[in-house]
Amino acid sequence: MEPTDIELVERARGGDDDAFRQLVERHTRPIYRTAYRITGNSADADDVVQETFLRAYRALASFDARASFTTWLHRIGVNCSLDLLDSRKRRDARIESTDDLSSYEGHEASQERIVLGVQMQKAMAAALTTMSGNERTAFVLRHFEGVPLEEIGAILGIKTNATKNTIFRAVTKLREQLQPFMGSTV
Amino acid sequence: MKHLTQEELIICYYNEPERAQHVAHLADCEKCQTELGRLAQLLDRVPALEVPEPEADYEHRVWQRLGWRLRGEKKRERAWTRWAAIAAMAMIAFVSGLLLRREAKRPMNEQTQVASGQAGIQATADARQERVRDRILFVFVGNHFDQSERILVELTNLQVTDDTDISKERERAGALLASNRLYRRTAQDRGEDNVAALLEELEPVLLQIARAPSDVSAAELRKMQERVKAKGLVLKLRVVRADVRANAAATKQPNV
Repeated sequence: MEPTDIELVERARGGDDDAFRQLVERHTRPIYRTAYRITGNSADADDVVQETFLRAYRALASFDARASFTTWLHRIGVNCSLDLLDSRKRRDARIESTDDLSSYEGHEASQERIVLGVQMQKAMAAALTTMSGNERTAFVLRHFEGVPLEEIGAILGIKTNATKNTIFRAVTKLREQLQPFMGSTV
Repeated sequence: MKHLTQEELIICYYNEPERAQHVAHLADCEKCQTELGRLAQLLDRVPALEVPEPEADYEHRVWQRLGWRLRGEKKRERAWTRWAAIAAMAMIAFVSGLLLRREAKRPMNEQTQVASGQAGIQATADARQERVRDRILFVFVGNHFDQSERILVELTNLQVTDDTDISKERERAGALLASNRLYRRTAQDRGEDNVAALLEELEPVLLQIARAPSDVSAAELRKMQERVKAKGLVLKLRVVRADVRANAAATKQPNV
């Protein structure tokens, strides 16, 4: 039988690197997906994955075994993503806009994605850039990952009501950007 | 009649437990049904925001890189602990020596001297290992700066025409990208701030080259060339590389 996350955490705390390796292998892809949706590109998502597990390893001793390891790890991953967005914002302000980089990301687009509507993808990307880190994270977790509001609140360290407000603000920004694609019915 | 707020409509759309409180109102209120329909029309059409699936061995690669960093951390931690232990032992030996000499007027305890001597040997070995690691980093980073500089110089010297073939530069930039990130993290971990800062600045440029189409348009090529020149990257690479090489030479030991 597969060991649970908590059992692996206990073993990793005792210095068992193989147990930590199993945790890494088990949670890498979900963390990568969330990080990609928050940061918007694969190189940053990859950095976030590395940093998340490094921080998790350092903080293993402080993990409360009564809590969910997935939620705890996601919280670290989200914080790493937000830190990266902050540093990217500072770097962009210092050096230049990354518009050209995002256009290069576009070369990864599949033919199907192009057919489905590059313009709408761009509007969506634009909407995400107008959102604050918390708004983007809350929206991504709720809309794409299906994480319940209460858990999003736990990940972001805010109350459920504040989470609702955050998602509301995100949807409002999204509505503004996607309005032209909705026709006259919205 | 009090209608549902946008927040409540969002709760209903995402089918949160609170939705139950609004079901009765929704069933009766045509206006709120229309509003919820509009919201659903918007959110249902939000593009899927495709996440490119990493390669099959991604977990393995993550662990390899992570394992490397964790081993580095553990070694530093052990080295620090060992240094602290050595310092404590040396202090104990010193104080014991003083006390013994003062109070018992006897020669210093031989065993303490032996312990102190062994600790000293261990400390020297640790320091030598640290120097070897530093030197390896400096040598590798120096070579990395060399190769990066060559790509940037070739790129900036390319004649700007439409459909210029930069496939070789692309390929080499792609190969350097992974090691760039690895060196940047290592430099950050080891407190080599100048090196880490330059690697951070180099990364988006390498990314841009690696992601460019192989038959790049004149406008795109000019943009890349201007970016490299604007950052003064070639000059920075030369300056920091000289520092790195000097550091590598300084850490070189006759017996290493």
